[in-house]
Amino acid sequence: MEQEEINFSDFIASSTHDMKNSLSIQIGFLEELMGGSRVKLDASTLDQLGHSIYEAKRMNTNLIQILSMYKLGKSIYPIDIAEQSVNEVLEEVVLQNQAIMEFKGISVSVDCPEVCFWYFDRDLVSGILVNALNNAYNYTTDKIHLVATINDQMLEIRVEDNGRGYPESLLQGNIADNKGVSFSTGSTGLGFYFSSLVAGMHKNGGKQGSLAIENGGTYGGGCFVVTLP
Amino acid sequence: MSTSLKQATTLVIDDFQSMRAMVASFLKTMGVTGIDSVGTAREALDLLSAKKYDIVICDYNLGHGKNGQQILEEARYKNYISYSTIWIMVTAEKTIDMFMGAAETKPDDYLLKPITESLLEARLKKLIEKKQFFAPVEKAVKAKEYIRAIALCNELLKTPSTSTQEIQRIKSDLLIMMGDFPGAKAYFESILLVRSTPWAKTGLGKVYFMTKEFALAQEVFQEVLNENKMYLEAADWLAKTHDAMGDLVQAQHVLTKAMALSPNASARQKNLADAAHKNGELDVAQTAYEKAIKLSEHSVHKSSSTFAGLAKVLTAKDEPSEALRVLERTRNEFKNDPDAALQTAIIEGMAYQKMGLPEKAEEALAAAEELMNDQPGKVSETAMMDMANTFFKLGKKEKGCDLLENVVKNNHENAGMIKMVESVFEDAGMVGEGDALIKKSTAEVVNINNEGVVLANEGKFEEGIKLLRQALKSLPNNDQMIANMCGMMIGQMVKNGKDDRIMFEVREHLDRVRKINPSNKKYNTYMNILNKLASPAA
Repeated sequence: MEQEEINFSDFIASSTHDMKNSLSIQIGFLEELMGGSRVKLDASTLDQLGHSIYEAKRMNTNLIQILSMYKLGKSIYPIDIAEQSVNEVLEEVVLQNQAIMEFKGISVSVDCPEVCFWYFDRDLVSGILVNALNNAYNYTTDKIHLVATINDQMLEIRVEDNGRGYPESLLQGNIADNKGVSFSTGSTGLGFYFSSLVAGMHKNGGKQGSLAIENGGTYGGGCFVVTLP
Repeated sequence: MSTSLKQATTLVIDDFQSMRAMVASFLKTMGVTGIDSVGTAREALDLLSAKKYDIVICDYNLGHGKNGQQILEEARYKNYISYSTIWIMVTAEKTIDMFMGAAETKPDDYLLKPITESLLEARLKKLIEKKQFFAPVEKAVKAKEYIRAIALCNELLKTPSTSTQEIQRIKSDLLIMMGDFPGAKAYFESILLVRSTPWAKTGLGKVYFMTKEFALAQEVFQEVLNENKMYLEAADWLAKTHDAMGDLVQAQHVLTKAMALSPNASARQKNLADAAHKNGELDVAQTAYEKAIKLSEHSVHKSSSTFAGLAKVLTAKDEPSEALRVLERTRNEFKNDPDAALQTAIIEGMAYQKMGLPEKAEEALAAAEELMNDQPGKVSETAMMDMANTFFKLGKKEKGCDLLENVVKNNHENAGMIKMVESVFEDAGMVGEGDALIKKSTAEVVNINNEGVVLANEGKFEEGIKLLRQALKSLPNNDQMIANMCGMMIGQMVKNGKDDRIMFEVREHLDRVRKINPSNKKYNTYMNILNKLASPAA
């Protein structure tokens, strides 16, 4: 009997999709559970609950990135670049992660003019920011600051924390090349790769979006910087 | 919607009990009390038909049967929901069929899973604000007060907002609807100067298409696709443009490529089938029609012409008994639909003729004639030409000629249609007779129009209107003649003063002109004069 050709990436994509559905439901219930049992549970149980939500969200972010990447790779992602309220998008990303941030005692602040509009794919850029927040969550001491400014026909969004900053080795290489798996840090580099790919897909008038990481900013910690034309 | 979030009546549609419960509990926490939730499309439509909802939160993927988009389309089509209803589609991921499908009905927002309570609440509040922001424009559009609607858009555009593009879209649609093509073109160009967006560029292409500048339209649509191949609306228009330029092979090619990217768009699948059918690629056409039928199975927009197309292809492939089976199915699926009954009867005639059963074929056509007489002015040109074709094959020359004369007279300035009539004559080996008939019928219409113009020039508007009104009884779809009659009615009002009754009639007629032929040049001219007449200053 002849074996049918199996398209591995299609298979991965559809099972990723399935996993994401289950995870969505799981996250929903975990959050509800945490909201309802704040007073009933002891601190360490609550802490474990909080951590499992964080991990589930990280997983979800990764699954979304895998799915998006699959589509971007096949050039079948429906990119929808439209005018967005930057303020609204930032607030929403913060809201999505609020419960978990509060839990770890991290305060997240947003600094963006009320009237600040820019063109980008809302879902993809939100994906970048969620990823950046997840990173910052891991590395910060207790503060995360989101700043948006428009300079020279470019929108710059910075996610800054007050942790120890990125290690020198990471700062030196080309961030987009950072696809390698590092077992010591647990990083797959997928997030950076995805983010710089998405930033680069935003083009306007001969200019292209980009991603950079640096140390410094408001708190002198790590800074994740997306620039969009 | 005018109510606040807490007072809103809300419907949650999701096939997973756990998801439904979760969303409902989110809503409860927000203080919403009127919450219904259902797990199937059937239950959802039952509730939507019986009760007015302010907010609908609907999962896109509902397993078997209708999906979320199809529920939305049916609810909108049947007027279960109004423009003030907020419809949120919840999806696990963004797919091409959702975003770039040819769908005209779109939800107010998409939410990607997982949804959290705070996110849902923030979105709902934004959407309520947005509905209120748009309400005046929507009302003006509904009341067909287009000029006022544009003024309102201009007012809204003065302040930057997330809705800028949507307002621009509404405004450009209005300009096109009013036939102000130069205005629409200039508007799209001004938007494109700031930023090249696929929708504005596609809009510019549409204007070129409507002003029949096909080469320019083709260039623009192609450019959009080069920049963003997933913007399939441009592909649909590019195919239409190729079709209008007579390049059916290219049209089919473009649609084939687009279908590969969005395999679930039923309207596009049908267009592909039609193009392949016209190109004589019967196998491709058959497969495409079958897919289109399957895809629109649960849609309120499923069309009998897709079934008719399949039956015609089967007849052409010398499989008339298969065709008859499809027609039987068509009858069952489209009961009480006179248009479907007519199409079915005509193709039945074709199939029986092919089977060598002329009596049965004549019987079917006799039934078709009766159905046609029941709905004058509403019969499509394709149906009439199909029928003529079959009459010729059965040796009934006179009946065939009568039908084609009707087609010519209703479309004497439509070169594409005349060409199709010519090919029906050619198939029947009646080229000479056909040419004579086309010339004679065209001349008759031109003569009536000229006579009318003479009367109008002499100021005898009443007589001219009477003449054209009489002629239009047998040529209800001749947009040129309807437009001329509108011109006379306007002339009459300029002479005798404005008259609300006539004003209303002219508007109705002009509406029809636009429907028959969106690029009729007189439409905008008369529309503008009419609007000036209507303004209080006049």
